[in-house]
Amino acid sequence: MSKNRIFRTLTSLLGQMGLLAGALLISAPSLYMLSASFMNSNEIFSTRLQLLPEALNWSNYLEVFARFNFWLYLNNSLWVTGAVVLLNLIFTPMVGYSLAKFNYPGKNVLLLFILATVMVPFTAILIPLFLIVRNLGWINTYPGLVMPFAMSAFGVFLMRQFMLSVPDDYIDAGRIDGASEGRIYFQIVLPLIQPALITLAIVVFVANWDEFLWMLVVTTGDALRTLPVGLAKFREQYQTRFELMMAGSVVAAAPVVLLFLALQRRFLQGIAGLSGLK
Amino acid sequence: MVAQPTAADIRSQRRQGLFGNTLEARKRRFGLFFALPAFLFFGMFYVYPLFQTFYVSLFSWSLIDEPSFLGTVNYIRLFADKEFLNAIWVSFLYAFGVVIPIWGIALGLALIFNRSFRGRQAYLTVYYIPAVISLTVWSLIWLLLYNPSFGLFSVVMRGLGIGGLRMLDDPSTAMLALILLSIWKGTPVYMLIFLAGLRAIPSDYYEAAEIDGARSWQSLLLITLPLLRPVFLYVMVISLIEAFKVFTPMYLLTSGGPGSATRVLSMFIFQNGFQYLKMGYASAASVIFLLILLLLALFQFRLLRFQQVD
Repeated sequence: MSKNRIFRTLTSLLGQMGLLAGALLISAPSLYMLSASFMNSNEIFSTRLQLLPEALNWSNYLEVFARFNFWLYLNNSLWVTGAVVLLNLIFTPMVGYSLAKFNYPGKNVLLLFILATVMVPFTAILIPLFLIVRNLGWINTYPGLVMPFAMSAFGVFLMRQFMLSVPDDYIDAGRIDGASEGRIYFQIVLPLIQPALITLAIVVFVANWDEFLWMLVVTTGDALRTLPVGLAKFREQYQTRFELMMAGSVVAAAPVVLLFLALQRRFLQGIAGLSGLK
Repeated sequence: MVAQPTAADIRSQRRQGLFGNTLEARKRRFGLFFALPAFLFFGMFYVYPLFQTFYVSLFSWSLIDEPSFLGTVNYIRLFADKEFLNAIWVSFLYAFGVVIPIWGIALGLALIFNRSFRGRQAYLTVYYIPAVISLTVWSLIWLLLYNPSFGLFSVVMRGLGIGGLRMLDDPSTAMLALILLSIWKGTPVYMLIFLAGLRAIPSDYYEAAEIDGARSWQSLLLITLPLLRPVFLYVMVISLIEAFKVFTPMYLLTSGGPGSATRVLSMFIFQNGFQYLKMGYASAASVIFLLILLLLALFQFRLLRFQQVD
């Protein structure tokens, strides 16, 4: 009996140690970024093991913001990602509702097609997409950065999934009371799926904050560059200023990481929810 | 649930169509109206580009001059181009090098997190962090970590007795370096998807198994893994596509080099299209890229159907 208990305590202790070691290993790169962003150049160039800076050296952050267009990049990132989230919040619930609750010619084709777009790698349509945006005169403009992401296949599926769970009775009751279809959507359906909209916003925000290749191709100057592209250009110019690169990286990573830490449960549910979308 | 429509229902619905003032017709018009943005968006940004890719692939075009028609010449050149064949090979190497370890590690972690223990939620949060760090940032961190003289990775390896590592400059290790950072970053999402799948398995099954005297490894092998099959297939499909799409780490860490050791298809298309301005050639490569992914997807669906039958 007591032997058994000792054994159990021991395994749980070992398990905890294993989990802790795993946690350290997994977060090591992120922690090192944070630490390196406070180092001076001597510390970063040290060929011996130096995990922490001698003192918190805020000057890297000041220099990043003063010398490079980080405010501009941050501002652009916020505007572009914000616009993408907003457009997705407007359109994908509409389409999801339509796919979940209505029948019309072409619906199955649309559904199948949206499903298929999940398989299409962005690079495979990169060139024609660039040509379309170029023909529209959208190179290096906000619409050019935003419009190709105004809707997303996974967003539509997420919304369709949630719309399927809205009881038909509610919708029919609205019809019997003489409400127009538009009113039913805005006053009955949308309020019912409000939590799903928050999930959608989070998922879309995270997916687009990180967009790199398109922003690289479609911006021609600093004025509209978002943080990822700004960082990459910074890397090209200042190959050896790793401490500044890390400070800039912390700034670029912070919004999503903070969002994640603030809304962990909803965030994790949102990501996990995507797997139910076959 | 909704009753199955009878044949008569379907006939009468067809007759009504989109027009008229019946409730059904009005509903249909509204549904179509609400789907319009999707028709427009996916038509403009997916369907049209797909056709356009094929069309442009038949031309020689540098964006500046007038396109000149070549027919299938781009395709013939592609298959004689060692760089292109190398890009296909390197893409497969990277994709499978990343996804196979991810499947194992993610499933293992999900099984651990499916138990209850002290600090579970906190650990889950920490384990998930690499996934929420932007890939650009993540790549730059590893650029520093891999630096041969002062990067943390190299310093630690030197401490372990493996000195003189030049992970990104050596053709034999550059791919390994990129695979490692991608596994590190990619695992958490799939861990979470597996975890959601595990949670969806009713606990009755385990209780019944326990009553029947099944050991925990027997439950794992005979209940958990078979029931997790659909989730596993979903993870297989999605993770492979994600891996084939990879671009950012190559762009930031190796530019496809050293030599062509890490020039994946995305990198090949980007360089030919936007650096050498060979729009037609890059489009032809895109078409082949799409076909490869289509074949992979078909193969995986085949697997899916096969498994549903037995």
